[in-house]
Amino acid sequence: MDGLTAAEQREFQGVVEKRQMREFMQMYSNLVQRCFDDCVNDFTSKTMNAKEEGCISKCVDKWLKGSERMGQRFAEQNAAMMQGGGPLGGAR
Amino acid sequence: MSMFGFGGVNQGPTSAQKIAAAEAELEMVTDMFNRLTHSCFKKCVPREYREPDLNKGESVCLDRCVAKFFEVNVKVSEQMQNQAATRQGGTPGTGGMFGM
Repeated sequence: MDGLTAAEQREFQGVVEKRQMREFMQMYSNLVQRCFDDCVNDFTSKTMNAKEEGCISKCVDKWLKGSERMGQRFAEQNAAMMQGGGPLGGAR
Repeated sequence: MSMFGFGGVNQGPTSAQKIAAAEAELEMVTDMFNRLTHSCFKKCVPREYREPDLNKGESVCLDRCVAKFFEVNVKVSEQMQNQAATRQGGTPGTGGMFGM
């Protein structure tokens, strides 16, 4: 965020925080849907069985670890691309 | 974080415009990240969830998937820029995003 004054940066920070909250809620509901879809398929009872519970727990764990890992790689790739001038200006 | 070259807006635009541009850029990056994680997780992690940790194969697959996703971004953008430039009869890749 180069080119912003200190006041502008503060204002932008507020925008970022609001957005992060929204992102977080979105990630939560996406994760519920993903794990529900992948783990819960037995409707002979109205409570989750042990297998489903285990699956949900592993599903959540794996996703959180995976998204952390992808976040690291994403940051690295992004930094590398910045040095090359950005993807939409790369042919300059 | 100025991945699409919006970073250098300091000659002229108002504060509101600068913040809007920064927000648009943030939006684009977050959206890209969300789509990337969705695709790569789907391609690399089987739905059986045998263990809570990423295994070796899944980890390597995710790393490569992220790199390739970026590569595809670059390829598509280059090709679109070239095509737009050819159609306008200009030189390829001179403008900013998509020749705007």
